[in-house]
Amino acid sequence: MANIATLKPGSTCLLMGNEAVARGVLEAGAGVASGYPGSPSSEVIPALAEAASQTDIYVEWSTNEKVAVEVAAGGSFAGIRSFCVMKQNGANVAADFIVNLNMTGIGGGGLVIFISDDPGGGTSNNEQDSRTIAKWIDNPLMEPSSAQEAKEMIKWAYEVSEAVNLLTFVRGVGRISYTRSNVVPGELPRKAQPEAVFPEIWDRNNPRKSRFTSGPFPVFHAPLHEKLEKAREIFETSPFNSYTGPEKPELLIIACGASTSYCIEGVNELNLEDRVSVLKLGTTWPLPEKLVAKHLKTTCKVLFVEEMDPFVERSVMELAAALLPETAHLTFFGARSGHLTPYGELSTDSVIGALADIMGITYQPRDRAYEEMCVEAAALVPGRPINMCPGCPHRATYWAVKNGLSLDGRNGFVCGDVGCYSMGFAGPGFYQARTMHAMGSGTGLASGLGKLGRFGLDQPVLAICGDSTFYHAVMPALANGVYNNSNFTLLIADNSATAMTGFQPHPGTGQTATGEPAKVVELEAVCRAMGATVETCDPFDLPKTIDTLLKMMAEESGVKVVIMRHMCQLVKGKRKIAPSWKMHVDGSKCLADACGCHRLCTRLFGCPGLMVDGETGKAAIDEALCAGCGLCAQICPAHAIIGEEV
Amino acid sequence: MANGINELFDEVINRGLCAGCGACITGCPYIVAHAGRIVALDKCTGSEGDCYKHCPRTFFDFDGVSEAVFGKAYPGGEMGQVLEIFMARATDPEILKRGQDGGTVTSLLALALEEGLIDAAVSTRMDAEKAPHGSVARSRRELLESAGACYEVGFSLEAYRSLPAESTEKLAIVGTGCQVEALGKIKREPPQNSPDPRNIRFTLGLFCGWALAPGTFHPYLKSLCELSQVCKFEIPPRPRYSFEFHFENDREAGSVSLDVIKPHINSGCHYCWDMTAEFSDVSIGSAETFPGWNTVLVRSPRGAELLALATEKGILETRELPEEKLSHLKWAALQKKRAAVEKITEKSGSKNDLLHIGRPPEESADILSRWNIL
Ligand SMILES: Cc1cc2nc3c(=O)[nH]c(=O)nc-3n(C[C@H](O)[C@H](O)[C@H](O)COP(=O)(O)OP(=O)(O)OC[C@H]3O[C@@H](n4cnc5c(N)ncnc54)[C@H](O)[C@@H]3O)c2cc1C
Ligand code: SF4
Ligand code: SF4
Ligand code: SF4
Ligand code: SF4
Repeated sequence: MANIATLKPGSTCLLMGNEAVARGVLEAGAGVASGYPGSPSSEVIPALAEAASQTDIYVEWSTNEKVAVEVAAGGSFAGIRSFCVMKQNGANVAADFIVNLNMTGIGGGGLVIFISDDPGGGTSNNEQDSRTIAKWIDNPLMEPSSAQEAKEMIKWAYEVSEAVNLLTFVRGVGRISYTRSNVVPGELPRKAQPEAVFPEIWDRNNPRKSRFTSGPFPVFHAPLHEKLEKAREIFETSPFNSYTGPEKPELLIIACGASTSYCIEGVNELNLEDRVSVLKLGTTWPLPEKLVAKHLKTTCKVLFVEEMDPFVERSVMELAAALLPETAHLTFFGARSGHLTPYGELSTDSVIGALADIMGITYQPRDRAYEEMCVEAAALVPGRPINMCPGCPHRATYWAVKNGLSLDGRNGFVCGDVGCYSMGFAGPGFYQARTMHAMGSGTGLASGLGKLGRFGLDQPVLAICGDSTFYHAVMPALANGVYNNSNFTLLIADNSATAMTGFQPHPGTGQTATGEPAKVVELEAVCRAMGATVETCDPFDLPKTIDTLLKMMAEESGVKVVIMRHMCQLVKGKRKIAPSWKMHVDGSKCLADACGCHRLCTRLFGCPGLMVDGETGKAAIDEALCAGCGLCAQICPAHAIIGEEV
Repeated sequence: MANGINELFDEVINRGLCAGCGACITGCPYIVAHAGRIVALDKCTGSEGDCYKHCPRTFFDFDGVSEAVFGKAYPGGEMGQVLEIFMARATDPEILKRGQDGGTVTSLLALALEEGLIDAAVSTRMDAEKAPHGSVARSRRELLESAGACYEVGFSLEAYRSLPAESTEKLAIVGTGCQVEALGKIKREPPQNSPDPRNIRFTLGLFCGWALAPGTFHPYLKSLCELSQVCKFEIPPRPRYSFEFHFENDREAGSVSLDVIKPHINSGCHYCWDMTAEFSDVSIGSAETFPGWNTVLVRSPRGAELLALATEKGILETRELPEEKLSHLKWAALQKKRAAVEKITEKSGSKNDLLHIGRPPEESADILSRWNIL
């Protein structure tokens, strides 16, 4: 990863979209940056953290997205340009604060939030269009269509934010955040940050706002709409809105974000440059109505191309309704007409499909033989079912949970949560996690379920969360459980990292985003202070872990916490901690398909480090993958998997 | 038709027939005993399982097992194949003291170890809290630690199943009727992942009326006394009608009426027809009205040889079993068969379906006629 502080202005650099966003933050001269990790947004804070030593920006990983926006808003209130980053789910967590911030307005420093959405949900447990929040709270929103534009847009968003005194959103998607492309950096500002002050309340000479209280709302709500109209005016002439194509097109495409390039490619591919035009909107809320109205008049057909919700589509149709009868001749295509889907990622192919249909063109992308070869070739690629890494401590934890619940015999169940251990809902976690919603929800659900004894619920209730998730949103749920005398057992899978998203530090790791030592907020101490019974286990000690689980489940009341502490295998790798064991399978002992085993290790246990030797049919260690954790030696009934200490 | 873990659970465990012998566990990663129950940890995809095959509560082929153990068909009668009957007790004072009755079992094991006839004895040992576990003794000291009876179901055949499959140690195994039946099935169809059953040189059977279910009985027992102080449990012969526990240093023994104990009988024991462990080399019980003596049934030539050696070496003292004692023993053994058949027909709902002891009507009628209880 390039150090974004030292890029040469005017040169061409290969940057990931998230790095370009970070560079934009530096070029805008922001002094505060905060965020909570979550793909596809996780790389922005590390890029800024790395740049922090060369610049005077303060960068932090916050415990959750709401706190992150609060931290950044604090900067803005004190007159410093501030920045905040999160993924789409994070916007929900932050929403509670943001729906008040819109009323109070921001401070002297601009405030920009970059939210990266995940169309297709490849790295999320939901698929959600975060743009709605901008409309919901009447704050401006922009959508970049490339990494370069993302960088420029971030800078411009500060100007908009300060001009209208509102938080401004920039919405990315995975394709923008993760794609590496050529970006030309601009200059970093020379002038130092203004002095941070929280404005003096009785200082009549100070023109800056000194109160940020969201009420009485009639006083604030009307001005909010005025601000929004002002933003609309600014957006009418935004440099990020552009038009290409004939003056009077047969079809007008209105596109935004990453899909814009699919439209341009699609039009070229079908040779429709003379018949179809593209209106690219970089500012999508509030809608630059005059600009859009002008183009609506030039055509009879409009196709909307945007990922997920028909957000622009609806705004434009609303506008068209308001402009009737002038717009009566228009036919609209997009999610509503079924030409594109309001879910999943779009692609050049999907846009071409829509264009061909609307324009009455038959389009055969490739000849049939090629198509067939593609299908054949695809079959050659081995499937990659989701799995935990070799040596992953969560596999040990779920193995202990599975066996513990079976031994307990009362149909106990686990409320799951969000992190690598979410995989507990599927084969890698032996189907043990039975719920999955928002961060911290597993513990909240357990707190409720643990009160249902009065209605006959006699199954042990368990919840699981990771260490980072614990600080993020589990603490209130745990306090709730203790306070209301619920009965459940919380397992904290403490792997010493926010592993799912790339090992960002958190309050339990003793390190800040910029690498300085930090106070450790100790899990044991917090849980004890909250009033829970606490035990700590190494999940690789399966017998002790199972015993502890049984003991905790047997307790008839109260909230119990078991901290499953074992370092994430990848963190071990990063820190160059050598594997503990050199593993091999003694083929003469391996029972394979025979009674007494039936491939426990490869069929059920499922560590990717284990495989079936094609020749002998016995189990074998895949040395390229095995992390040498030694766990499989504990589960093999024939003692055929052998570890030698290294 | 599949005969694996699912069928074992459907036909035996979930039906309350499990005897707690332990044949199905440990040789397998899916089945374990926990808190007095058999638990399935996971789904096994095997359709022909040793778990099902060796369980004494799945179909028991009397002639087939008898063929494998004694080399001839099952003779029937109250007590099966018997060569000699007498009473015996240990001459070694330490064994006499530690043994349940006459210490005959422990004496025979000690002799076999000493003479190199076996390398290890698989039996049952109580932990400090008096819960039973399978144990493997390879020395006199370890043997003495496993002397004495625990009346709870012990799943103790797991100790045999957990020996490495490639082990060549010569073994003696001590067990109650269900355990000896399982061993008979194992001898007939050797397991794929436990030591070769031909290594089992002696099977010593214990007489058994019933055993207690640890799940409910153990907590109850714990509420009665400080278990770590108990040195012996005993069910003295009638007319006493009690379960007793003796303490170290001659503290007064505790006693509860059998009426209180009986509700804790392991449900699977009610379906057991085998009071005298008919498929062992030697069966040993208490001589009841002769305190400190055992009743001994010698069943196989190799059992006879072991006893001959023991008497020759002066390790055991023997005497004749009085005629009226023998007829009482036969009566009691037959009573157990009758009671089992009654419970079995109750469960199956048909006189023609005797579950594990004979499912096709012909089998059922055949076994009843061999027991003379048609
Ligand atoms: C559950 C149970 C019920 C019994 N019921 C009767 C009965 O109704 N009538 C009768 O005459 N005798 C019965 N006995 C047998 C009797 O209690 C003595 O075990 C037998 O007489 C041998 O005496 P001993 O002095 O030779 O024993 P010892 O030399 O003390 O040896 C006893 C052996 O039994 C083993 N053992 C202890 N507990 C168990 C267990 N739970 N399962 C399997 N093996 C065990 C020990 O490991 C040891 O090897 C029963 C035994 C048990 C375990
Ligand atoms: S668990 Fe052990 S015996 Fe079973 S297949 Fe794997 S290595 Fe072989
Ligand atoms: S030792 Fe076993 S469980 Fe651990 S990584 Fe290697 S194969 Fe997987
Ligand atoms: S491995 Fe064999 S003994 Fe174990 S459950 Fe499967 S079939 Fe039964
Ligand atoms: S009787 Fe024995 S083999 Fe059968 S289920 Fe019970 S413990 Fe297992």
